[in-house]
Amino acid sequence: MTNVNCDQLIDYLNGALNEQEQKQFEAHLAECPECREIVDATGELPYLADPVAPNPGMKARILDAVFDEEGQPAPLAEERPTRNKPAPPATMAKRGFRTSKWTPLVAAALLVSLLGNAYAFYELSDQPDAPAAPEVAFETVDLQASEAFEGTGTAALVHEEGALNLLVQANQLEPTSGEQVYQVWLLKDGQPIPTGAFTPSQENEGAVFFSLNEDTEGWDTIAVTLEPNRGNTAPQGEVVLSAAIDPEA
Amino acid sequence: MEKISDALLYERVRGKDKDALEELYDRYEKMLFSYLCKMTGDRDLAEEALQEVFVKVWRGVGSYDESKGKFVAWLVTMSRNAAVDLIRKQKKPSVPLDEIAEVESTDSSVEETAEWQEKSEQIHQAVRHLSEEQQKMVHLFYFKGYTHETIAEKCGIPLGTVKSRIRLALKKLKTSLQMVQEGGVLDDKREL
Repeated sequence: MTNVNCDQLIDYLNGALNEQEQKQFEAHLAECPECREIVDATGELPYLADPVAPNPGMKARILDAVFDEEGQPAPLAEERPTRNKPAPPATMAKRGFRTSKWTPLVAAALLVSLLGNAYAFYELSDQPDAPAAPEVAFETVDLQASEAFEGTGTAALVHEEGALNLLVQANQLEPTSGEQVYQVWLLKDGQPIPTGAFTPSQENEGAVFFSLNEDTEGWDTIAVTLEPNRGNTAPQGEVVLSAAIDPEA
Repeated sequence: MEKISDALLYERVRGKDKDALEELYDRYEKMLFSYLCKMTGDRDLAEEALQEVFVKVWRGVGSYDESKGKFVAWLVTMSRNAAVDLIRKQKKPSVPLDEIAEVESTDSSVEETAEWQEKSEQIHQAVRHLSEEQQKMVHLFYFKGYTHETIAEKCGIPLGTVKSRIRLALKKLKTSLQMVQEGGVLDDKREL
């Protein structure tokens, strides 16, 4: 059966209908099994393409953009991944990332809480009859300032059931200007992944909390760089704070 | 365990459930990214298009319900149109796809690969039942990122004719795909 509405199918698929036409056609679609079946068939067309592995870190970038930009009307042009940069290791592609920014005070409280939890666990496990508890390991490190950088910082890493929670806080930071941010990275064998960014408060303090849902990497270094802008997938700025961490932790 | 339907997950996304969005993303990341790579010939552009699609899903731009057909088809339409817009903005000519088609590395699971192969065989088989002209229409519309206006211009045929040819091609694709899916192997010589 073909009628005037059926003829609009291709305009619909082409996104060429105005708002009212679109609504009318969608109402038609609800009534016309044939048009709906044709639309459904187009859902299989991607399988004509060869399967391509996702870009390294793509899921993290896209979900961050989806959730972080909520409510901002600006389109996504500025989120465009920068070209011609060395790609981070391919193993990153399938990991789930979440970052959130905390004020230094909240971050400090959280740090205490994370350490408290881990400490409580170690207390427990000293008891011979303690039940098997989930595997928890924590590590805190003082970050070393690079030459000519006045700031200081600490990082806390808590590994729990395969996930990694990372909290970094820094003090006496130099103020940023323009788009600049302090960016935290985890590295393994010199290959970095971005793990959250922050700008200093008026008191020149900053902190970031980051969770890696499935952490199997065995990171050996943590570093903070001063980046010219947010969202870089590989460092462009200078390292200002860094420390070695225990990959076995 | 029964898999939650796409439509139900989408409902949750409308209720701002981030996990539901992530689940939908995981389900269709590879399929849509592979498609967008083929269409744009550019991994970065494909990523940008995919991001736009999921931003729209999250913000509820153009809402979906089951009366509009399958969720995945709705996603594919959005993906195609996002890529068409980006290609147009960039004025970037499509490149020969062999140059970027970096075929799947070893990190996908066996089931995932098997499912891809099955789907891929079905759609390839269905497409073989289209006439050459019809295959060309589908290719230009879905894989070259041409609008029907561009196809009309490039092929020197009237716009109305282009639309009805694409429609006819997709209609035949639908029929042959249904037969492939229902009947297993389709006799290659049979006319539809």
